[in-house]
Amino acid sequence: MTAPVLEVDGLRKEFVRGFLRKRTVAVDGISFRVERGEVFGFLGPNGAGKTTTMKMLMGLIYPSSGKATILGAAVGDIEAKRRIGYLPENPYFYDYLSATEYLHMIGRIYGLDRAERHKRSSRLLERLGLAMAESRAMRSYSKGMLQRVGLAQALIGDPELVVLDEPMSGLDPIGRREVRDLIIELREQGKTVFFSTHILADANLLCDRVGIIVKGKLRDVGPLGELLSPKVLRIDVLWQGSEQLQAALREQFDGSEPGSEPGSEPTASPHSSSSEGQVFVAQAQAQLDRFVAAVIAGGGEISSVTPQRETLEQLFVRDSGSRPEEQRS
Amino acid sequence: MTDTPKHPRGVLAGFGRMWAIALNTFREAVRNKVLAILVMFAVALMAFSLVLGQLSLHEEIRIIKDLGLAGISIFGVVIALFLGVNLLSKELDRKTVYAIVPKPLHRHEFLLGKYLGLVVTMVALVVLMSAVLAGFLLMQGGRHGVLMVRAEILILLELLLLMAVAMLFSSFSSPWLSAMFAGSLWVIGRNTAELEAFATGKLEGSAGGTVLGVVLELLPDFRMFFVSGANFDETVVSVHESFVSWAYVGSASAYAAAYGGMCLLIAVLLFQRRDFT
Repeated sequence: MTAPVLEVDGLRKEFVRGFLRKRTVAVDGISFRVERGEVFGFLGPNGAGKTTTMKMLMGLIYPSSGKATILGAAVGDIEAKRRIGYLPENPYFYDYLSATEYLHMIGRIYGLDRAERHKRSSRLLERLGLAMAESRAMRSYSKGMLQRVGLAQALIGDPELVVLDEPMSGLDPIGRREVRDLIIELREQGKTVFFSTHILADANLLCDRVGIIVKGKLRDVGPLGELLSPKVLRIDVLWQGSEQLQAALREQFDGSEPGSEPGSEPTASPHSSSSEGQVFVAQAQAQLDRFVAAVIAGGGEISSVTPQRETLEQLFVRDSGSRPEEQRS
Repeated sequence: MTDTPKHPRGVLAGFGRMWAIALNTFREAVRNKVLAILVMFAVALMAFSLVLGQLSLHEEIRIIKDLGLAGISIFGVVIALFLGVNLLSKELDRKTVYAIVPKPLHRHEFLLGKYLGLVVTMVALVVLMSAVLAGFLLMQGGRHGVLMVRAEILILLELLLLMAVAMLFSSFSSPWLSAMFAGSLWVIGRNTAELEAFATGKLEGSAGGTVLGVVLELLPDFRMFFVSGANFDETVVSVHESFVSWAYVGSASAYAAAYGGMCLLIAVLLFQRRDFT
């Protein structure tokens, strides 16, 4: 088994602020590993500690305790830094420089010669759709364009590990899709991607494994398939039938009849309408069997029966210990 | 991208990284409109010396030299304070440092690279203003001469030291406070003779005199770089007649390097420990 690309062990950060030296724990002893070649999503609501963790890993903030190794070296090791590409959250760059000048400057820091800098910056700006604006001062760039420059500067050193802090933040749907494609491309090139997001759809599409951080504590780490409960939460039935049948079944299956979820209080009607027909939500297999039999007996038709399992969003909400509307993101 | 070019290592690589930061700092300075305006004012002051020279009685060259050096010095101090105090605060305010520190360079290389960029900028500005001054002197039939070069080098050393002091303050305080602290130190540092006389005169033997003496030893001696009119071995020094030797310029350089180096070292230590939240 190869050594992990990133290993975090009991990392903790406590900020001391103000005249009264008030202490705030931003990250509370988190431990996890990111293996070579995987896309690891670091999920959490705003203020959960994602950016603080990433800043500690990138040497921008010193941890209060715990340690982390990146590519086998301690955080801050210059040779390890050479193999890392980092995109900060809401990146800001020297606005008096053009994208080409900025990438050349970063290339110089990586020790690339002029020809190599030129080759890589041209290729990256072309790949990220910035070729038309490469010699314009960045003060005239839109937020999406700056995010692309951020990606280009993260990749100019041809890193083995790419660390992206909220890479989809502030992007329009097309921009988000392009970043998703880029992450997939990086994975195909064998690079390891560690990125933070609070957009669950992106994590769902891209991640081999995720870590969920809430209020500074890591609640869950693992492949999505393992983290999400395989248990069927409910079964959606799409059906058609006459108005009399609809009325009869609404009365017969009102959510409080025998066979519905034991001990559950009916909070809302299990019946609803959609453009494709009537929808019934069954809470248990026995209830489903009786409902399907009743529809067929009444001359109706069943279009589909779809079991619903836990989604990433539900897992996220479960880990956060709050309802979606209480989340800040 | 699968090709892996060899990366330079060691001191040379460290200098390459600092040079990348320095080049960027230089670009930032020369693209700054405020700086361009200040340089234009300095040149305007030199041009005004041509007019004043006409009003004097055959002292055109003397007036151009005196006003020219004063212009380089005064506007140089304003530029040094402006650049020095903004050096780190801008990086932190605009969060540009967040993308740079994680790159393969040490924090001290970043800070020293920024200072190196300021040194390059200030050398370029002093050379430019000196060239303009030499042009005005030639127009009036005078010579720039080696004495003027020594005086300009002393001004440059003063400005480089002032930038190091300003950078030290800017590593832990706001630009306004840094400008105030560094500016005050420059004013005090230019007037150490009066304070020394006070400490060894009225305050001699008292605790206040002792404290003032110690404080004066610790403060940067900017007077060392502004020697015109000073008395050396019972000879009044001036760029028009008898000026300080190259040996004096050498010792002033050593002082500026030692004091400036100490300021940079403290700034590096403060910057090294800093959290970029």
